[in-house]
Amino acid sequence: MNKRNEKPRTLKSVLRIPYEMAQGPAWTHFFEGFKQKKILGTKCNECGRVLIPARPFCPRCFEPMEEWVEVAQEGTIVTWSYVNYTYFGVTADMIPQVPVTVKLDGTDCGWWGGLIGGFDVKNFDLVNKKVKVGGRIKAVWRDKVEGNMYDIDHWEIIK
Amino acid sequence: MRKVGIVDVALSPGVGSSLSLMEFTYKPVKEVLDKVGIKRNEVDAYVMASSDVFHSGLSCANSFDIDATGAFMKPMAREEGDSIKAFIYASLRIMSGIYDTVMVVTLIKGSEHPDNDTLTSCFADPFYTRPLGIQETTAAAMQKRLYQKRYGITDEQCAKVVVKNLGNALRNQNAHIKKRVTVEDVLNSKKICHPLRAMECAPKSDGVCAMLLASEEKARELTDKPVWLRGFGSSMDTFYLGDRDLLNTQLKNAASMAYKMAGIKNPAKEIDMAEISEPYAFQELLRCEELGLCSQGQGGSFIDSGATQMTGSLPVNPSGGVLAMNPYVPRGLYRVAESALQIKGQAGEHQIDKKVNTALAHGSYGFCGQWHGVVILGN
Amino acid sequence: MGRMGRAVAVIGTGQTKHGRRDDVSYPDLVREAIQAVFEDAGITIQDVDAIVYGSMPSMMEGVAFNHFYMADALRAVGKPLLRTETCGSTGQSIAQTGIYWVASGMADIVLVVGSEKQHEGDAQATMMTIPDKITLPMVGGAPVAFSMQSREWMGYFNIDEAKAREAAAIVSVDCHDGGLNNPLAHIQMKVTKEEVMNAKIITYPVRLLDVCPSSDGACAVLFASKDKARKICKKPAWVKGMGFRGEEYYTGDSNKAVWQSTIGAAQEAYKQAGITDPRKELDVAEIYNPFTYHELMFMECLGLCPPGEAPDYVIDGVFSPDGELPCNPSGGVLCTNCIGATGLIRLAEAARQVTGKAGPMQVEGAKLALSHAMGGLEQFNAVTIIGSKL
Ligand SMILES: [Zn+2]
Repeated sequence: MNKRNEKPRTLKSVLRIPYEMAQGPAWTHFFEGFKQKKILGTKCNECGRVLIPARPFCPRCFEPMEEWVEVAQEGTIVTWSYVNYTYFGVTADMIPQVPVTVKLDGTDCGWWGGLIGGFDVKNFDLVNKKVKVGGRIKAVWRDKVEGNMYDIDHWEIIK
Repeated sequence: MRKVGIVDVALSPGVGSSLSLMEFTYKPVKEVLDKVGIKRNEVDAYVMASSDVFHSGLSCANSFDIDATGAFMKPMAREEGDSIKAFIYASLRIMSGIYDTVMVVTLIKGSEHPDNDTLTSCFADPFYTRPLGIQETTAAAMQKRLYQKRYGITDEQCAKVVVKNLGNALRNQNAHIKKRVTVEDVLNSKKICHPLRAMECAPKSDGVCAMLLASEEKARELTDKPVWLRGFGSSMDTFYLGDRDLLNTQLKNAASMAYKMAGIKNPAKEIDMAEISEPYAFQELLRCEELGLCSQGQGGSFIDSGATQMTGSLPVNPSGGVLAMNPYVPRGLYRVAESALQIKGQAGEHQIDKKVNTALAHGSYGFCGQWHGVVILGN
Repeated sequence: MGRMGRAVAVIGTGQTKHGRRDDVSYPDLVREAIQAVFEDAGITIQDVDAIVYGSMPSMMEGVAFNHFYMADALRAVGKPLLRTETCGSTGQSIAQTGIYWVASGMADIVLVVGSEKQHEGDAQATMMTIPDKITLPMVGGAPVAFSMQSREWMGYFNIDEAKAREAAAIVSVDCHDGGLNNPLAHIQMKVTKEEVMNAKIITYPVRLLDVCPSSDGACAVLFASKDKARKICKKPAWVKGMGFRGEEYYTGDSNKAVWQSTIGAAQEAYKQAGITDPRKELDVAEIYNPFTYHELMFMECLGLCPPGEAPDYVIDGVFSPDGELPCNPSGGVLCTNCIGATGLIRLAEAARQVTGKAGPMQVEGAKLALSHAMGGLEQFNAVTIIGSKL
């Protein structure tokens, strides 16, 4: 196809597109809870499950979830990972990091709620020793909470 | 081939909503299920149409959409582009005999994304057309100029489309733009992309449409007023505008497929009303021609004749059309839903006076309408 | 829900050479696959009634609704086109769209095309726009999400870490050996168990040689009705069954160690195909395995071995090239991942296997094959069964 001696070129470009997304009543209330360092779940009156983050409706029963419940800030580790590579938004100074899914007491779901911290997570062997599926962790809030997902600074191992 | 029926529909308003996308989507889906009296998990399959990432900021949007569309652990797929695609796909699934009921859900929140021109500029290829600044409005302006030049269509005739459609929208509770306007208002509005004026261009709107489709037997069981799918057609055009005659689009091809399937020989006589996508006012005139509702080049005199008014012989866009409400992806399924409601006699205040036996719905998107879809419904 | 009205056949498949393809533009890459499928089937675009296209979200390559840009390359001008997209499962979803189209009677021949040019954009950045910015702003890219799932699976079944590690390494070795037999594969290199087990940690427990590459590539498949297939094709492959299931948006809402969307999709496909004992009845499986640990989970959830026991079966060689049910003889996703095409490649490879056209990858006498894909935030699974007999 390319009989000429031209090396096929590439073109570099960047797209930036701004959005403004409505949080709606359910998530607004959920984050209002964060401002008071509370974690609020919603309860389904059909299946009885308490889910976080708060939901406007139950994805399975498809009924509105209008009952609010404050849930515990401690829970059990469902799973975790040790992230040791950089990608968009995660730069070399941010790794390694240890994301965790936690099942908070009083809820019926796992919650991908942030990172494990409070000790030297750079040391993989130490992480692998301390962080266990089934282990217990608790939320450590930032001093200054703003009502968003970054208000929980990290999760601390308690057992 | 199995017959496909529309059991029921629910539509959201077009004005910017403070609900989250998840809450906003849930409402019409729940409304349809409750109206029909079936549970989410009793529907056999789901087909959703949501934005490509650029219109929603969400990639692989079926990931987010699944909860509110009700598709948890059900056979499911997602179409991209105009939502008439999702309608066609859902119909194919019923025709295949594998499913008896399919829910179609389409969603967008125009209030959350930048203006459509910013987003449609991303349709352009990065090498040749993007550096030229082309997007749907600049492309439409070139199409309008050609249309006026070739057929002598006047600015007044184009403005009449806006006056008619926004007038109709005053009676549509879901319409986004509710404003009585005159031909002078339109002609005096800002020239944003000559020869297009601001009021000749559609807004950007929120919108969710949920529609339950069923096989013949199931549709009769679920509603006493099923609306039947009689025909559909769709066609894709070539990408580069310079390679096309902008006034001979693939709409003719899509329409002929739909008419053939529906057994329609004389659309101008046999179709009682039409909902036509017209993001730019002149496109309603051009598209009436290409759909065979009037002769070629006669779109201007067609609107002058009053035929397309609510009370005319062939009302076009009694809902107010896309000029009154433009949720980018859902707008095609809105046309189908509005047509179905007219046939059911449930369009509310914008129900047309005469009995609707056969209705046409049209969807289109891309530069000068690179894709067109046509759906024919009957009672 | 009933069985499908009309039988559907695969009458041709075509793929590009996969890898870093800076040598061609994106539409030209798609054209390469389309040229190959028409050569394979011996028909032309005039015989095609409809087109289905799919890729990952437009952010991957920076062109919105890229079916417009691709219209000419797809030979779609003047034809109906559907554009199906379901994330990683897109390749299977577009195949299923084509199958429904033929089964409905509205088309006799449908051209299905999937493509990706991962090197033109930032795939991880794209995947970070799958979770919303309000409630999941800190959720990481695909390797993070799927490694979390692998860890959940190991924890849930209390699987010994060393045993899972060894089994995942065997999967990697087998796939890389397969890739060496596949002239179109992106990654073509020999790896050893030790190399895999000692590779750099990417996202624990996943190490570098447990992860798929980012590939450019396209795949095209022609589906046809029974009458057309019999006329055109000496040896068609037949669609025996298909399933698709999706789970909630929030991964924690469901148990991801016993992956119900995989189980649900497979069970539906098996039911249609009349399969009751998949490991015994299937001759070959093309499983969507961007991560080795995931292939282990899929072996369980696709019903190929009991839950929690995949490592034992793998270590016993059950799924190796000379085992009872060879998995991913093509090298799988681990050697080629042009995402929008990947699920369709699985189906194309399944069709080539049951028609004896798989060349050096051929599993002797294969008659019944499974193809699979997954996607979303640990959410979507699709299965299509392809057989040599109607
Ligand atoms: Zn519930």
